[in-house]
Amino acid sequence: MTIINNIFLAFFLALVFLSPFSVSAQIGNYLGDESDLYAATKQMNQFFRRFNHEEDKLGNKFDPSSKEFRNNADRKEYINILFDGQNKAVPQNVKDDFVNQVTNSANPTFLEFHGGDWFAEVTTRFVYEGREQDLTLFMKLQEEKVGSKWVISNVYFEPFAKIMGKDIQDPTKFLHPLSHELDFMNLRKIFDEPQKLKEVKNYVEANHKTDYVSLFLYEVARNALQFKTVTNVKFHFFQIDNWYLEVSRFNRGGYNNGWLISNLARITPQNKDVLLNYIYSNGN
Amino acid sequence: MKNIKKILFSFLFVFAFMAVDSAAFAQTNADLSPTRKRAIDSLALEKVKDLSRYISIIGNKSTQYSEAMRVIDRAMELFSDGAEMGVSSVNSKAIRYYGVRKYFDRLMALNYDQVEIDWFNIQYISDLEKQPDGRYVGVITIFQRFQGKSADGLVQYSDVTKKDITVYVERKKTIIAGREIGFWDVMLGDVRVSETKRN
Repeated sequence: MTIINNIFLAFFLALVFLSPFSVSAQIGNYLGDESDLYAATKQMNQFFRRFNHEEDKLGNKFDPSSKEFRNNADRKEYINILFDGQNKAVPQNVKDDFVNQVTNSANPTFLEFHGGDWFAEVTTRFVYEGREQDLTLFMKLQEEKVGSKWVISNVYFEPFAKIMGKDIQDPTKFLHPLSHELDFMNLRKIFDEPQKLKEVKNYVEANHKTDYVSLFLYEVARNALQFKTVTNVKFHFFQIDNWYLEVSRFNRGGYNNGWLISNLARITPQNKDVLLNYIYSNGN
Repeated sequence: MKNIKKILFSFLFVFAFMAVDSAAFAQTNADLSPTRKRAIDSLALEKVKDLSRYISIIGNKSTQYSEAMRVIDRAMELFSDGAEMGVSSVNSKAIRYYGVRKYFDRLMALNYDQVEIDWFNIQYISDLEKQPDGRYVGVITIFQRFQGKSADGLVQYSDVTKKDITVYVERKKTIIAGREIGFWDVMLGDVRVSETKRN
């Protein structure tokens, strides 16, 4: 990996310092040594292009009809530099298996911006009940008749989660099957005591799922939630069969920075749902 | 003289672009061809360079107040209505929001004896994506070094910021000599300014 990095760096510095840049000297007093800025994966757009090998090391797009475009052999090098080099939690053999699968010459896999199965996790700050609190918005790209747009697909907010808890019901709590004969007079026993309000979820239908987006919209509409700012963004990809990738932005010195793969895991269709639930509940 | 050259260049550029564009666009309103996208990228990059130049002038302490105000007005013309600057630093990841004019006003009023604003020789242009209103949107990333200095030239504050600049591309029409000609108009939108750690 170090050798690959060194080769990449040498190649890269040669390109940066030896090639004339046609658009230079127009803004004015340019600074030198931007090699780390070239190396950085500066936009998610560049992450896609690098992952798919759709641009050269200076960020110039390959013509889709050229032999460099999506060239599998060169992709291996590119994909390797897209990992967070400081994250030792992902073993090298797992990375190698992943890279070998996506660059398999018989069936290469690419990341597609409009391919679905990826979403953003946006950490925001809202004022709620008198103090600023983190609220996580999960956003996905929605295709429209014309173009596309980002939409809120899920919400995690600790005060909501504390009240709603998990979507699990207590089998000892129920309204007996002849309650109707009594005009449901026993409803009073659910709603009468404030400390039991959290238990009302035991009396809704079994397949009910808490809709945190609706809760969020309600609280925003009544101005109980007031937006302050965004503090972090990362992305989750489930686009590649049997794999999960997390992509985060690293703002640090050196050549391994910008948008990088911060986590990689092998998944099955079964544990995909477990992982999704884990992400949507902020790891709780 | 510089201004005249600039205006002449912009004029020639836009009309050259129109000439290339009108025939092909008359046939289809479909997605942009790679050639057209490249032409739009160049046009967008010109606007971003204009913005960079204006920022350098506005921040420069030797720029007269009246000249700075004139340049701010010119810079504002690059932006679509409601555009904002979202600023964060290494110490605070929270984004602070400023209207573009307020951002320029703050830049002009910075309390240093000397200000140097330089740009790194790098820009990254995203793909253009179509939005539901039919306009295209892209992002151009550039990097700036800022240095605030005391009267004796000592650097009091320095940072490198990444500027991710939204670019809106819209198909418009105009009548020239009785003939309807289509052209692409480029406006700048929100700008995300984030301090960048180096070394």
